[in-house]
Parts: sequence; C-alpha cells; structure tokens
Amino acid sequence: MSGDASARRIGATAAPVAVERGESPGRRALRRFFRHRLAVFGLVVVVGFILVALLAPWIAPYDPIETSWARIRKPPSAEHWFGTDENGRDVLSRLIWGARASLMAGVVSVLGAVAIGVPIGLLAGLSGGWVDATLSRIADAMLSVPFLILAIALAAFLGPALENAMLAIAITASPVFVRLARGMALEAKSTDWVEAARALGNPPWRTALVHVLPNIVPPLLVQGTLAIAEAIIAEASLSFLGLGQQPPAPSWGSMLNSAQRFLDQAPWLAVAPGIAIFVVVLAFNLVGDGLRDALDPRAQRR
Amino acid sequence: MSAILELEDVARAFPVRDALGRAKGAVRAVDGVSLSVPEGAVLAIVGESGCGKSTLGRVMLRLIEADRGAIRFMGDDLRALKPDALRRRRRDMQLIFQDPFASLDPRMTVEEAVAEPLRLHGIVPRAQERERVAELMARVGLRPEQARRWPHEFSGGQRQRIAIARALASQPRLIVGDEPVSALDVSVQAQVINLLQDLIREFRLTFVLISHDLGVVRHIADRVAVMYLGRIVEEGPTAQVFHAPRHPYTRALLAAVPGQGVKAVPLEGDVPSPIDPPSGCRFRTRCPFAEAICTEQAPPLEGGSHAAACHLQHRLPPAVPPAEHDAGGERLRRLQAFFTDRKTNNTGATT
Repeated sequence: MSGDASARRIGATAAPVAVERGESPGRRALRRFFRHRLAVFGLVVVVGFILVALLAPWIAPYDPIETSWARIRKPPSAEHWFGTDENGRDVLSRLIWGARASLMAGVVSVLGAVAIGVPIGLLAGLSGGWVDATLSRIADAMLSVPFLILAIALAAFLGPALENAMLAIAITASPVFVRLARGMALEAKSTDWVEAARALGNPPWRTALVHVLPNIVPPLLVQGTLAIAEAIIAEASLSFLGLGQQPPAPSWGSMLNSAQRFLDQAPWLAVAPGIAIFVVVLAFNLVGDGLRDALDPRAQRR
Repeated sequence: MSAILELEDVARAFPVRDALGRAKGAVRAVDGVSLSVPEGAVLAIVGESGCGKSTLGRVMLRLIEADRGAIRFMGDDLRALKPDALRRRRRDMQLIFQDPFASLDPRMTVEEAVAEPLRLHGIVPRAQERERVAELMARVGLRPEQARRWPHEFSGGQRQRIAIARALASQPRLIVGDEPVSALDVSVQAQVINLLQDLIREFRLTFVLISHDLGVVRHIADRVAVMYLGRIVEEGPTAQVFHAPRHPYTRALLAAVPGQGVKAVPLEGDVPSPIDPPSGCRFRTRCPFAEAICTEQAPPLEGGSHAAACHLQHRLPPAVPPAEHDAGGERLRRLQAFFTDRKTNNTGATT
C-alpha cells in the first residue's frame, strides 16, 4: 500500500518507551470485590472450608469411621468437642471428613453443570433458529421440574453413591447455565463489538470463543458461586435420603439423617452438621453477591 | 475513476411480527438502491434517522444480507462469495462504528484489538506485530505507550481513534464510517474529521460516510447520496447537490440546516411508515410540489452524474443557492483551523 512508507517513518519516531500498564476489567472487579466486607468474610469462610476439606487426614483428631461401644452418644467434652454419635464416632472428625463430600459435590458438580450447560447455551444463543428452539425447549422442560425432585429421580435411577449424586446434581443444575449462557450470548450478539469482530473477518467460532465467551464469564462466575451453595444443599439432601455418600463414609447430609432419630437425647448430632451446612452455604452466597456487585456492568465506569 | 463498489437494485426488508409471531409486514429499510462508489472518492450518504442509511452501509459490506440485487466489490460478486472467501475479502473493506464505547471489546487491550485484523489476515509476521501496532497507534494520534491499556480507560475521541487504527490495520481499500463522529463532542469531532481526511488522502482510501450532519458532509465528501425511506432520491457531486439541489427533499433537508440559505417550504408531518410506504413517489405525502403523476408512478433516479428521483425535477422553481459561509460548516472550519494550528507545536493528540 502507498501508506506503508510514511506509516513506518512515523512509527520510527515513536519508538516504544516505557509501556503503560492499564487496569484489566478482571483486576478492577477484584479491587471492587475486596471493598465489600461481607463478601471478603464469605471468601475467608470458603477458603477455610476448602482447606479443612483438603487437609482432613491431618487435622481430624480421630478416625471418622472407627466405632467404639465405650463412647456412644457422649455430649461435647474436652476430648470430643462436638460429642460422639450413635456408633461412638467423633462428630468433629466426621464433620471435617464430611466437608470433602460437600466440597466435591459442590464444586465438581457445578463444574460439570458449567461444562454441560455453557457450550450448549452458547451454541443455542449464537446459532439461533431451530437449534436454539430445540435446545431451549429441552432446558425449559428440565427447569419446569423442581430441582431436588429431578436430582432425587436421577440419583435414584443411577444408584446410591456420591459420584452418582454429583452427576445427578450436575445434570440437574445444567439448564440454568444453558439459559444464562444463551441469554448472554444473545445479548453479546447484538453488541457493536461482536459485529465489529465479524466485520474484521473473524470466523464464527473465533468470535464465540475470543469475543463472546470472555464477556459472559462474570455472570457465569456469579451464578456458579451461587450454584455451589445450592449443590451443597442438594448433596446434603440426597445423602439425607440415603442417595449420596454411603455409610460409613461421612457426609453432612447423612449425619443429619442419622441424627434425627436422637434429636431429643443427642441434639448435638444434628446441630454440628446443620450449622456447618448453614455457614458454608451462607459464605458461598455472600461471595456470589460480592462478585455480582463487583462485576455489575452498570457500575463499569467507576 | 472506476467504481470500487457498485450496488444494483439492492433491497433488504426486516419482517415485523405481532405478539404471536405472525408476520405482520416488513420494514423495507433498503428498497431498490443502485449506487456506484468511485475508487478513491468520499461518498456521503445522508438522510433522516430511520431512512435506512445504516442498513445500507452494512448491506454493502455484507454484514447484513441483502434480499435482492447485486453488490460488486473490487470485481467480486459479494453476495455470491462463500463464507471463507467473504472473510478474506473483509481485509479490503472495513467499518467504523458510531459509538466508540460499544464497538471495542471491553476485554481486549488496545494492542490486542489493533493486532486482531493483522493476525486474521496475516498482514505482518507475528514478530513485527507489536511494531506495526505502535505505528498504527502513532498514526491515529495515540501514544504507543498506551498499547496495554483497556478501552474503558480512554475517552470517546481516543476510543474512536483506536477503532480507526483497527480499521486501518488490514490495509483496506474501502472504509464505511457509520456516523463516525456524531457520538463525539464537537471539539473532538473536528479533530477526528481532520484525522480521517488525512488518512483518506494518505492511504488513498475510498470512504463511504454515513451521516446526518450536513456540515461535516459538505466539508469532506466528494459526492453525496440523499436517502429517503429506503431509496436514494438524489445523488451527485457535493458542490452541485448543495448549490443546486434537484429533489424537493434535498432542498428541505438543506433548508433545515440553519444559515444554509436554501429557502424551501419546511417539511410537515412525520416520515411515513417504512412498513407501508406511499405509492408512487415516497416523498409525495410531504412534498409541496406533488402532482397526480407522483401518486401513480415511482420516479426513477435519472440525470447522469447529478441524478434525482423526481418527476418534476426539470420544472421545479429554482432553489436559492446557499450562502457561501454556512453556519455549521463555518463553526467546524474554525475548530479545525484551531486544532491544526495547535498540532504544529504539539504533535501528540490530546483528545
């Protein structure tokens, strides 16, 4: 082109000096997140919960499945902080090991739901037409059945095991991500920058992966965090019903299940896992809300 | 001058559906447009909002598919190109958007945005990418040190410069600017117009300027096409269209600009619905000269190099030529002169 020579000449005078670093949208969101006290508190609890789950073999004071006839249903004491259960097992140790089941169920099943839901949603939103119609109706049909009922049905069909409960939760939670990804993709499709991507000569797959996907991560992150809280409850519910973690392996849900028979004689059996579920679910919700505020597009110009 | 882009009887309608999804009719946004863009020229498309000029701009780049008609770009039948061939062709035709706050991907740095067309079309080897981006940034008046910054850290004028650098990166032959300055502050408008003019000259670009700002159009366009309800009603060299408008609508449009000096009966009523346009000449419902024939027959665009689509174009009373110094253009020229002077002692743009 005729302009090359002159462009080069001008470029030569402007040899790169120190490059200024801008603040990326992600870092800006992080900065805003850390201004949010409750969210930071939630994050601390979540990190603590993850550490407890990962370090369970080292920090649990007792073997979580070792029974003892000598200490059945003992109330909290100096040796057993949260008491012992109907088989003489240490409740604190079971709680610590049970965090693993909850973390697995929460994180793995939500990752599964994202892995199933987001590609389908992107495909539906970006291709439109009958593809969109078909995929959306399937997602709607799944959403019309209450979350837990569907999870219970699927888990019962797959057979009682923690892995199956996780799979059931992943499948049940995926239509939410289909809907979200589809909606965001539709929105992104109508923006100028996606049209610009097309005008520049991007193939459709590159537009989807490079321009659309990164821009729908924020709402997915928020929804994902909130979904972890829901999945933890779902796992506890399935375990409570005997469809999740199988005895003698501990899970907060199955601990609640066995505690219900002794509510009047040994209430500590129910209180410990109950509070654990409550606190962890609350923490994930706080983090989710904090992320939502930090990533809110309406606050982008701050 | 040969035509780089030619449209022949191009049309595009958008279906309108009722609440139940039944087709209720169609908005005929572009309805039978024939237009030829000479290579190296600046052609302006003007008209009221809703007349279809933005749709036409996208149809000519095949960002929106046409329903019928032929589009020839650099010898290719654009509508017949397969997706891959079309993508390769996009190297030669670029678009600048109106809203610089929306046209840049918020998650791409300036460098990534400007490098994208380089990479897509293999313009320079990867090793030279950074250098080329710096050149392009410098050329549009941005400091290359800002390459790692994100769009949200820039002002509207600077963002539009980024968008211009991105459009230039693939060394296109044709750029369509869809109201490229109307979202900017007036002072910034003048700077960006100066920049566009310089680039058009330097790179011998063909530029299609879609605008409703007649001051800007008069200043930089070689030819003007006036659009009304999806059709071109007048097309010709800028000076002729501004001095001796041949279509009553053009006269009314010029009269609406304060200080233009064209005396015409002001337009009354609203633009008719593009779903159900008037029969015959579309302007007849608002035209002070309309006769019986205007209802019966749609007037063809005729008259050679300065053409108008009006049955009465040879019988209209002469329009009073506009004053030599129109208010809008004068203001713009003063601003441009101001910024040109400043540029001599301060090379970095301060948008």
